[in-house]
Amino acid sequence: SDGAPGPGHWDADAAAGGLVDLAVPGGAFSGRRAPCLKNPVLGPGVLQAIRIFHTRQPSLAPIPCVPEYGGKVCLGLIPKEFFQFLYPKTGVRGPYVLGTGLILYSLSKEIYVITAETFSAISTIGLLIYVVKKYGASIGEFADKLSEQKIAQLEEVKQASIQQIQDAIDTEKSQQALVQKRHYLFDVQRNNIAMALELTYRERLHRVYREVKNRLDYHISVQNMMRRKEQEHMINWVEKHVVQSISAQQEKETIAKCIAGLKLLAKKAPSQPVL
Amino acid sequence: MASPVPVKEKKLMEVKLGELPGWILMRDFTPKGIAGAFQRGYYRYYNKYINVKKGGVAGISMVLAAYVLFNYCRSYKELKHERLRKYH
Repeated sequence: SDGAPGPGHWDADAAAGGLVDLAVPGGAFSGRRAPCLKNPVLGPGVLQAIRIFHTRQPSLAPIPCVPEYGGKVCLGLIPKEFFQFLYPKTGVRGPYVLGTGLILYSLSKEIYVITAETFSAISTIGLLIYVVKKYGASIGEFADKLSEQKIAQLEEVKQASIQQIQDAIDTEKSQQALVQKRHYLFDVQRNNIAMALELTYRERLHRVYREVKNRLDYHISVQNMMRRKEQEHMINWVEKHVVQSISAQQEKETIAKCIAGLKLLAKKAPSQPVL
Repeated sequence: MASPVPVKEKKLMEVKLGELPGWILMRDFTPKGIAGAFQRGYYRYYNKYINVKKGGVAGISMVLAAYVLFNYCRSYKELKHERLRKYH
């Protein structure tokens, strides 16, 4: 329902926004609805993405390239268009005949007066023609080299800028590609976490084992100790009672018996050398 | 004249002889128009003969020749006295 030609929203919108598009003559003229308010649901950021720029042909652009050669000129003075202009009526020789006729006419009627300056003019022009004929090409090449240098410089800048932007694009693309590989990172993280969990679990398991073993060891050592104490106590008690039961008389008899036995032994082994 | 293109828009070469006075009168003679005409003429000459990659001597030589001619016309009045013959 937009009455204006479809593309080229930008011009009207710019005009509506207060900017004047100078590429289009009369670019600020009214008469077109600003399309920016067509869909108020979309935010401004989204609308920028779908706006179309500069698709209509502006009348002053594109700027034509600098032509390679200038307009053709004959004798260095008269443009070829003049010769083309006279060609239908007079043929190829027409302009030259016209030129000769004009020169003779001006000389004979003394519209051109021959004075001393004529000779200086002739020599000057002759010298100029000689210089142009002889050195024209080399001077042209020199000038071409200069302009080529300038163009090369500008081209370099342009290429550098393009390269920069291309590098930025590549970086962006590679970073976007990296996003696809994020899952490796997440896998590694998940592995780490799983290992940490496992580690903690085993550590705690070991600790539980140690604590339980500790408690059980305690009970065992308590039992052992009780056992030992009971044994010792019983042994002591038995010894004490045995010692008590040995009366004094029995003791004397026992000692006398031992002494007798020792004497017997001493008698039995007197031949044994004592070292 | 009922021509499909209005007279004002035509270029000089396309204007017929009868329409010439009307065409001349329709031109823009305000100072801005005259300045615009000079500018256009200058840029036409400049872009055709000078602002090219491989220009020749024609670009300046035409300007110098026009200058020579112009000065000759200016000083013809004094030069008339140096003529070699009185009657031609």
